[in-house]
Amino acid sequence: MTTRRDFLKACAAAGAFAPLAGLGRLAFAAEGAPTPLLVVVFQRGGCDGLNLVAPVNDKPYIDARTPDLRVLDSGERPGLALANGLGSGLDFRLHPEARPLFELYEAGRLAVLHACGLMNGTRSHFEAQDLIERGVVNIADYARSDSGWLTRYLATLGERGGDDRRIAAMSANAGMSASLLRYDDALALPDLSGGVPLAGGKDAAAVLARLYPSGATDPVRQAGARVLARTALVDARLPRQPDGRLTPYAPPGANYENNGFTQGLQAIARLARMDVGLRVACIDHASWDTHDAQPGRFNGLVGQLTRGLAAFHRDMAAAGLPVRVVVMTEFGRRLRANRSQGTDHGHGSAMLVLGDGVRGGRMFGDWPGLDTPRLDQGVDLAVTTDHRHVLAEVLALPERDRAAVFPGLAARAPLGLTA
Amino acid sequence: MARTGAGRKSGNPDNPGNPPKVADDLVLGRLAFGPGPLPERLHLRDVGLRVWLAEQLAPPEGDDPDCAERLAAARLRIRYDAGKAPGPEFPAVDEMRPLDSLAAPIAQLWPLTDYKRPMAGPERFRPRSEVAVACLIRAVHSRWQLREVLVDFWHNHFNVDASQMVQVNVALPTYDRDVIRRHALGNFRDFLEAVAGSTAMLYYLNNRSSRAGAANENFARELFELHSLGREHYLNEFYNRWRDVPGALKGQPKGFIDQDVYEAARAFTGWVVEDGSGLGGADRLPASGHFAYVESWHDNYQKRVLGVEFDPFQPALADGRKVLDLIADHPATARHLSGKLCRRLVGDGVSPRLLSAAADLWWRARRQPDQIARVVELIALSPDFARSSGARLRRPLALAAAFVRGTGMPFTATEGLVAGLANAGQRLFGWAPPTGHPEEAAYWISANGMRQRWQLVQGLMENRWGNGTVQPADMLEAPASSAGQAADAIATRLLGAGNAAVGRAVLAGLAVDPARALDAAKPADANLLRRVIAFTAMSAEFQTC
Repeated sequence: MTTRRDFLKACAAAGAFAPLAGLGRLAFAAEGAPTPLLVVVFQRGGCDGLNLVAPVNDKPYIDARTPDLRVLDSGERPGLALANGLGSGLDFRLHPEARPLFELYEAGRLAVLHACGLMNGTRSHFEAQDLIERGVVNIADYARSDSGWLTRYLATLGERGGDDRRIAAMSANAGMSASLLRYDDALALPDLSGGVPLAGGKDAAAVLARLYPSGATDPVRQAGARVLARTALVDARLPRQPDGRLTPYAPPGANYENNGFTQGLQAIARLARMDVGLRVACIDHASWDTHDAQPGRFNGLVGQLTRGLAAFHRDMAAAGLPVRVVVMTEFGRRLRANRSQGTDHGHGSAMLVLGDGVRGGRMFGDWPGLDTPRLDQGVDLAVTTDHRHVLAEVLALPERDRAAVFPGLAARAPLGLTA
Repeated sequence: MARTGAGRKSGNPDNPGNPPKVADDLVLGRLAFGPGPLPERLHLRDVGLRVWLAEQLAPPEGDDPDCAERLAAARLRIRYDAGKAPGPEFPAVDEMRPLDSLAAPIAQLWPLTDYKRPMAGPERFRPRSEVAVACLIRAVHSRWQLREVLVDFWHNHFNVDASQMVQVNVALPTYDRDVIRRHALGNFRDFLEAVAGSTAMLYYLNNRSSRAGAANENFARELFELHSLGREHYLNEFYNRWRDVPGALKGQPKGFIDQDVYEAARAFTGWVVEDGSGLGGADRLPASGHFAYVESWHDNYQKRVLGVEFDPFQPALADGRKVLDLIADHPATARHLSGKLCRRLVGDGVSPRLLSAAADLWWRARRQPDQIARVVELIALSPDFARSSGARLRRPLALAAAFVRGTGMPFTATEGLVAGLANAGQRLFGWAPPTGHPEEAAYWISANGMRQRWQLVQGLMENRWGNGTVQPADMLEAPASSAGQAADAIATRLLGAGNAAVGRAVLAGLAVDPARALDAAKPADANLLRRVIAFTAMSAEFQTC
């Protein structure tokens, strides 16, 4: 078995690490190979996958929507044509604001999937998100799934929490992500730019340690004790200038914009650089619930999402940190627009998978078509790929762990998403 | 409203006899924003829970005189740079301004939504800032504390996000005043219609742009799923097979399906806002922000909602009102709403007995003007409530208000504090999803949440946001001669009796000898005590109530 030390020596000899990065910061699977950091980006609100990636020359698509709610094949802002698309004779294109992702697709780093989603017809945001985050398909399955799917994935890696020196999971949101339900040691860290100072100055750690002793049993005391241990871990690893002030995070070449989403992405990248064993990170991007005034809102969302992801990709690549990013949503939106220049809750949507080991530059999935008889309930893009199959391949889950992470997931031929 | 004096008729058939013995700290922690000034605490001790509840559940409309005076005297800073060409031009402003939008009719504020008028962002979004600051002032000072607790509950139940869409923000004072506050203790059917016809909700969930032909389903879906029957009664497994929903053929389906959402969306077409839109030809709606019903935008044909047929061509508003009648009368709504109130007021461990009694009363009182007040009374007088001490996590608003009320600090509400609450997870009138803030404790006590909660009380203690200076001497009912004695008194005042150990733990953490002589009038000692106060409020004991 390759030990962690051997691997690091080999990598260091091969110059795999950028000089910035310290050694010993990678997470390792039991086999000894580096498991890429998994980043799950959740487009909250239901992303209109048919406005993100679509067959622009498909008649039912053209007929169903005005041009401002479609990806176009010509004009001032044509969509970005994807090689290796789906179906025959269909011209799949990416939204014009997604150029940074298009470049990653061309470079073979990004795979695009379509007609994916939850194998449950719910059009409720909250039910769909809940089912997806628990990794199940029906509410009846809650009984055997009282944890998040990422919590169970972590368990397959031997990460069950309880070690104050590790941060195997984080949420770059203000609150905890439900995908990490019952992984109580995850750190919620939406922004690291100001460090992780404790309220109350230099005595705070001593006082709070007495108020929140480790080993307490009630949820609030436990939460406090965990925060104290893990923020100390992060704080000790934040680079500082000689005068003690924090060194601003400015990874060369990444060029992050400044908004809440990129603050979260940077928090993930910084934690990934620390020797804390980070394996999964969740981050939300919102809100995709475009019932009205979709054209302008959608442009803004796609632009912000894709520029943020491209900056994060550059950052991680420059640091030599393997990563896989999955972009997903709770459902797609209705093929036909409503009269508010928007779209209502639908079913199937697109997923994006980006990063190391991804067979990028091609689309995956089984395109069901947009003719009315092919639509789910006669109105929405059908789901032909259970999103959990996509996730299972991204995680490279061994067969024996599949049922644990995704209860009831049927076997199917692999999509071939990863190398 | 004609009611003037406090005091609603007490006597609840569901709770005969004396209410269980309930600790005053629990009552004031849960049904108020923490124990406040001494006279308020003594009043509860004197009259007891039943009378206190009767008073609190029938407050006169509007603010009590003291709170009204504070709201009238409040000044909130507004500051922005001059706007210069090529953008909109306007002069720079930096001034303290009263909370004028609180009482303003919506038509007076509506010009703020007109982007053809050159105006700075802080002017346009001023209404939300003023309502948020007023919310803080009322949480701290209102005599009608229980109403404030319920107003917070209902603002989350009927959530709107006033931080994004300028129209929702401009409609917020009206929404807070004429919809949420007016109905917080009243009748739920009336409440539903006030919400459905409110400018804030019509914009937030897009019904204002819903039209016959391709209705916008956003409002209709959340009306069923969040506002009334609840997600647990969404029978998604029946998809479009409405006849298969149990009870549907008798007009009493046990839940709702997507088709009910689609049909209800049609029923609410034409419920819009006077926003200046063209109506065809030279006709236009006025630009007043008021509710409007536009017949030509309404889908007039027959509908079927919850197994009930609607005839075509009903009178104005009748389709929407019939939907509201059906859902307000539905037993699932009674269970969902009363259950949510139980969990808010008692915590997670509500007994099936209380859940069932509350749902039953909610349904029986559904035609009563004080339906909600009756159910709240039943919950507050239940044995479940009496034994629920410490079962609820304080949200940041409650945490900050309890700190201010507990320390007795002079209080100025500021936008800095509103931002402090947002950092700790509670975005007043700025929560994006229509669910309102999460009920689950896990959201609030994430690593980020805990750190920011500690920052919140520390920020208040340091006067970081200009809210006022804590005077430890004012907090101590009797002068303390030693650090230990002072810490005991602080812990007892903030956490209730039996918590002196917390004050001692704080002193130990600060390496201060409890026997150390102390004079709270001395600046150095007052500073030490301020730190003791802040750390005591950071304790786990203060995070729950």
